[in-house]
Amino acid sequence: MTEKWREEKWAEGFWYRGKVSRRRVVGWGGGAIGAMMLVPEPWRAAFGAAKSYKIGSEQPLSGVGAIGGKTALVGLQMAADRINKNGGINGRPVELDVVDDQSSPAVARQKVEKMVQEDGIDAHVGGFLSNICLACMPVFEHAKVVNMISVCLDTTLTTTHCNRESFRVHDYAPAQAKAFGPMLAKLAKNWHIVYADYAWGQSTRDSYADGIKKNGANVVGTTGIPLGTADMTPFLSKISGNIDGIFAILFGKDGVTYGNQAYDLGLTKKYISAGDGAVCESSNMPALGKKINGFIGINRYIPVFQGPLNTPYLHAFFDEAKKRLLKVDPSGPLPDRYVQSNYEAMNALKQAMEASKFEGHADTPKLIEALEGMEMKEGYDFPQGNKTLRKADHQAFLREFLFKIVNDDYQLLQVVAKDKTLVPPACTFSA
Amino acid sequence: MTDAPLDTARPLAKTRLSHTAAFWLAFSAVMALLIIAPLVLPEFWSGFLTEILIWGLLAMSSDLLIGYTGIVSFGHSAFFGLGMYGAAAALLLVSPPNLWLAIMFGLAGAAGAALCVAYFSTRIRDIYFAITTLIFAQIFYVIIFTWTSLTGGENGLIFDQPHFAIPFLVNVPFHTATMHWFVLAVVTASYLILRRITQSPFGMVLQSIRENEARTRAIGYPVERYKIVSVMLSGLFAGLAGALYAVQKEFAAPDFVYFIVSGETVIYNIIGGVGTLVGPIVGAGFYQLMRQFMAQWFGDQFPYLIPLGIVFIAMIIFLPQGLLGFARRWLNR
Repeated sequence: MTEKWREEKWAEGFWYRGKVSRRRVVGWGGGAIGAMMLVPEPWRAAFGAAKSYKIGSEQPLSGVGAIGGKTALVGLQMAADRINKNGGINGRPVELDVVDDQSSPAVARQKVEKMVQEDGIDAHVGGFLSNICLACMPVFEHAKVVNMISVCLDTTLTTTHCNRESFRVHDYAPAQAKAFGPMLAKLAKNWHIVYADYAWGQSTRDSYADGIKKNGANVVGTTGIPLGTADMTPFLSKISGNIDGIFAILFGKDGVTYGNQAYDLGLTKKYISAGDGAVCESSNMPALGKKINGFIGINRYIPVFQGPLNTPYLHAFFDEAKKRLLKVDPSGPLPDRYVQSNYEAMNALKQAMEASKFEGHADTPKLIEALEGMEMKEGYDFPQGNKTLRKADHQAFLREFLFKIVNDDYQLLQVVAKDKTLVPPACTFSA
Repeated sequence: MTDAPLDTARPLAKTRLSHTAAFWLAFSAVMALLIIAPLVLPEFWSGFLTEILIWGLLAMSSDLLIGYTGIVSFGHSAFFGLGMYGAAAALLLVSPPNLWLAIMFGLAGAAGAALCVAYFSTRIRDIYFAITTLIFAQIFYVIIFTWTSLTGGENGLIFDQPHFAIPFLVNVPFHTATMHWFVLAVVTASYLILRRITQSPFGMVLQSIRENEARTRAIGYPVERYKIVSVMLSGLFAGLAGALYAVQKEFAAPDFVYFIVSGETVIYNIIGGVGTLVGPIVGAGFYQLMRQFMAQWFGDQFPYLIPLGIVFIAMIIFLPQGLLGFARRWLNR
């Protein structure tokens, strides 16, 4: 039955005159495959299915950084979904390759090596814990893969440890200190700095001490508190002397402990209370309650819409992020700077990929060229505001928000323009 | 009459000879496979195998204590970490970075820690020894974590990879395959040295301490001194593993000094088989591969520690002699 067609009139010429033989099939088939291989990439892209861009992302989804890592991933996924919904990048969709670094540098290193060498990612957006960002930077450098750092704050990432492949699209302590310094000097003459006693806390302490002194005020003492200290009273009760204000550099659970215990000891009533925005990040606010009222801080993102922050871009970002965060955490946290910086890092990569007509990993030099000095305009891609990615050190400069906590909510005090946060570059790229 | 003992000795000698031949044959076969591995494996898996060898060296070093001296150390992370930071110091201080200096500094760092731990811990036994080593490791961890100006604190240290250099002969940068061969050479040499040590009269005394410490002391051996040397040797090889890790990965972090690394080292020994030297390398490979494959098969966020824990418990119950011990018994059947 199946062979009956060979008997048909129309098939005679085709079948019986020896036109189809095994040799011919192999010959034509081989020729076709060879031709496919020789056809230039743009033609294949034009006629074949659009191959997706593979964007790797290393995040702490378990271990000590898990809460922040899951929040950060919300921002990244949100950006990727939006890009795909709007037609992708250069007409190609984006596919995320997310790995859980388990908050461990050894595990992160192994997984990032696999992502780069085995999975063949085109670029990377991620990194939450600074020690892990630092440990993984050589992998991106050797493999010549662009690495968009999306949360890590350690100053050295874009100073002493900078490399050509890594870019930080959010702020860092020296820029924050420059923005906050003038206000701090006006608020109090003599400051005491309380900081998390490890690398981030120590380097941030130095930046703020510098910022305070440059504006004519003094730092009369510092107190380092080990990470995860449940009872900070022995440290905080020693703070005394000729001081007018306490500046806190703590994050996460330690920020909550500090806020509550400093209030209980009467320090926040006695002295001006200020610090890094990480102390009262939106995820900490429910646990801090009224005790954090009066705190003056700095952050690149706060979930409010006062004055210049009442933009359709920030509203759209907030609404979508809040909806997605609810799925991750049923307590319904508000978006924070980790969501914002991951969202914008992915969009920055998209902008550079489009500008450089990036096709894949081989185009990394073109992509780096597009990223260096790139301007990002306030809009739906960059709701936080305008940004410049400086060529000299791959560090972004952006506007900063100075705020005060009033009635358990953020009250915007001042917006510091990105140009007022500029500090000299301190990076030398290896040849 | 006089020939009779010789006749009975001949089959024994023959058996020993065949065992030795079988050992070297198996050794050569495994070495051949490990040598050609980077030529046939993809880059990632080749690097992964190198990492397994390094973890294996760390596990093998602790086998000298667990398997041969009969004392369990939970402080090997300190030796490993100080070896790593020693190498990091050499790579950061000396320009251009020198491989041999890094290894020397790594060994010196581990030796310092081992001397300190050995002096105080070997005076006590059993669980007290294990706890003391754990406390020492945590002390070193806190020092490294908080002394930011020297150690980089939580961020650790990152540095450039040294070249493979032999003065007047060769000076080439490492790549995945050459790094693998270099690590393989170091691990093989370490294994042969440790094997020689365990088969020497010194090694016999260590095994005697493991079997009956009181009796060993009673027949006149200075047990404390033997234990100090054993801890020092073990610490040196653990430090060597740390230095190799630093050279391969170009970073040092306090997480490697944390007690979890010590716990994993004990697990490698139990999985592979204590008192076998090679077993812990097999154990390290089994653990690392299981973790990698589980992430690959069941997704990256799969809680691999649960099935690994079940496998570990099952092995303790059904294969108390570990994978290599079981294989050895099965082959001898």
